[in-house]
Amino acid sequence: MSDDSVDFLHSGPLAPLKKWGTKWSLWPVHLVTACCGVELAHAYASGYDGERLGSLNYGIARQTNLIIVEGAITRKMARVLKITYEQMPEPKFVIVMGACGLKGGLFWNGYHMVRPSDVVPVDFFIPGCPPTPEALLRAIRSLQEKIVSGEARNTIEFEKYDLSKINVRGEQPLKPPSPKHYSPTPPIKVDVPKEVDWSFGKKLIAELKSDLEGLYKSITITDKNRIAIQAEKDDVVALASKLSKRFDHVKNVNVIDIPHEYSFIVEYQISSYSVKELMPVVVNLFARIPRNNPRFPSLAVFWPSADYLEREMYDLFGVWFEGNSAMGERFLLAPDTPEFPLRKDRKLREEIYSEVE
Amino acid sequence: MEEIVLDVPVQPPTELFLPVPKKFLEDAYKGDDYLVLVGPQHPGSGHMRIILRIKGDVIVEAIPDPGYVHRSMEKLAETRLYIQNIPLFERPAIMDTGNVTLGYVRAMEKALDVEVPERAKYIRVILAELSRIGTHLYDAGILAVFLGHTTGFMWPFALREPIVEAITRISGARITSSFIIPGGIRRDVPWNVLEFVRKTTFVLERRLKSFEKIFIKNPTVIERLKEVGVLSREEAIRFGLVGPFLRASGVEYDLRAVEPYEVYDSLNWEIPVSDEGDSYSRFLVRVEEISQSISIIRQAVNELRRIPEGKVISEDILQEYAEVASADIRGFFFRVFGELTLPLGEFTSLTEASRGTLLYSIISDGESNVPYRARVITPGWYYLKGFMEALRGERLADLQAIYGSFGYFPPEADR
Repeated sequence: MSDDSVDFLHSGPLAPLKKWGTKWSLWPVHLVTACCGVELAHAYASGYDGERLGSLNYGIARQTNLIIVEGAITRKMARVLKITYEQMPEPKFVIVMGACGLKGGLFWNGYHMVRPSDVVPVDFFIPGCPPTPEALLRAIRSLQEKIVSGEARNTIEFEKYDLSKINVRGEQPLKPPSPKHYSPTPPIKVDVPKEVDWSFGKKLIAELKSDLEGLYKSITITDKNRIAIQAEKDDVVALASKLSKRFDHVKNVNVIDIPHEYSFIVEYQISSYSVKELMPVVVNLFARIPRNNPRFPSLAVFWPSADYLEREMYDLFGVWFEGNSAMGERFLLAPDTPEFPLRKDRKLREEIYSEVE
Repeated sequence: MEEIVLDVPVQPPTELFLPVPKKFLEDAYKGDDYLVLVGPQHPGSGHMRIILRIKGDVIVEAIPDPGYVHRSMEKLAETRLYIQNIPLFERPAIMDTGNVTLGYVRAMEKALDVEVPERAKYIRVILAELSRIGTHLYDAGILAVFLGHTTGFMWPFALREPIVEAITRISGARITSSFIIPGGIRRDVPWNVLEFVRKTTFVLERRLKSFEKIFIKNPTVIERLKEVGVLSREEAIRFGLVGPFLRASGVEYDLRAVEPYEVYDSLNWEIPVSDEGDSYSRFLVRVEEISQSISIIRQAVNELRRIPEGKVISEDILQEYAEVASADIRGFFFRVFGELTLPLGEFTSLTEASRGTLLYSIISDGESNVPYRARVITPGWYYLKGFMEALRGERLADLQAIYGSFGYFPPEADR
């Protein structure tokens, strides 16, 4: 299209008609990125009826002209947002909903978060966690006004603070001090014994002890319905093959990073769906492995339900589960995320506490 | 130990395509099956990608690619006070606010060994069951969107309005209430609000009957969902399904009955179980759970008549503030909870959230007032494996029906 015809479209005699048409046909593409989608659904359902403003959710990006980014955009989703935006025909608009979309909100220092304004040009932000449906509809009204008048208008003015006074470098002690206190080299113990009134547990422990003779280091009752079995890494497979006769699924695969003891603790919490008495019992099978060579046998052969949990733990901690075919691949994390982010030596930014007059 | 900063700036994406793993491409090129990529942008609730291998139009294998809504909650929890993590851990599934916060708070209470006042227990149950009804209705609405049934979307969301209103009157927030705190609830609920909650259940019951005619017993819906995505009892156990989806496959497992918490063991209710294990029975089990929850709420409100108002937070937690703050913690919140420290050990709580088992495991070092490690596994993450297996051998057109029947909610699964 030549420049003349574009000019004619935007400022010719028919321009008001075009603006009027765009104003009443703002169709948002379906991009429910996170939890704010709950309130978006309310806004377009019978309670608030967003359709009366000429706006209706539509599935395909090619026939829509509005993106409502509903909350958090992750590193993995940022590319999708960009692609979706590029697919849409002109004129197109972006409304960002929720605190996460502004500056990260509750997840402001998360390792997987992106600001939508870094990825696409944003027309309106809606504050709130989550914003109410009324706020969303007000944003759509504001966008309609912007289309007609050509200039955006704030509907909320926030109080402004001078952030330059805040000492970011930490050269002087900050007031008030952070309420958090971390222990630098804490002891970590996952099998702290507890005296409980649980007769079935005592019976079960006696059975387990005779069954697993010589394979475990210790068996402890940590709470009612909770048993912890400590083992060596090499005995875990033998233990799992015996335990899998009683317990049929995995509730949790967990890794705890203890850098000051140069080790990881790998936990498998197992339970049963088939035997009624064993249903509430959760057995925690755990072993310590060295931190510089984190390898652990995969127990997904005994419990297929552990498969995705193991892949997640590889993603977050870098513990290599030998035997799981998907090791070495990213599962949850985006390709450009720093690797193994949940290890303790990976640090997030922390908030700055400061007094404001 | 060298510290690595995770705060790496994001480069705006320049390549406008999503990478497809090479190994799938090569296999598809050599074999006679197609590779179909569903998502990440698709008309569902939340985003994920499913990579399908297809022969004709039958799904041979479904490979998940989650993580589009992974908001790094477990790491963030390690940088916040125990008490600041309540709203954080509410965010996986905000429509299920009662159950998700209850799970985290119960893990803390297990560690602190506090007894919650009876009145608070009943109000917690009311909040949890209201969220349960709300989530089941939410997923029914999303299922209707998947099936292209717009009226079926409008009805459950209209039904959610009175629930949202009830939660607002109880807690002050429409959806994210964060109302449950260690030792009780934030403040007492006055009698007129409880009466409103009780009346809401009658409205729900009456309108659900019309919804049943419009959507649940609609022949087209039955045709789309019946005998689709079947998981047998053995498969359900093997792949570790949870919640209503496990019960739809014939396993009577509900954590409210298996390991009773709060006051569930003193109330009368049943566990709906079905033997078919198909998409329709998964949906019906959840519909049946709505009427059980309605009955639980009514019983809880009736029980609350005999418990005097006033004390809703445990004295073990409040200590010197017991007299001033036991009915309303406003003004004392940080003074009471700022220095909250859990004893050494690992504390695991299991909660029956709307979509199934919700696990919180807090590992505390006994010295810091932030968790050393907090592990969360949401129901969506548990049943992802079963969901992928249910797709195997089904037709491509049935993908939406199975997706909807699981009510898979990526923000919840990815955390």
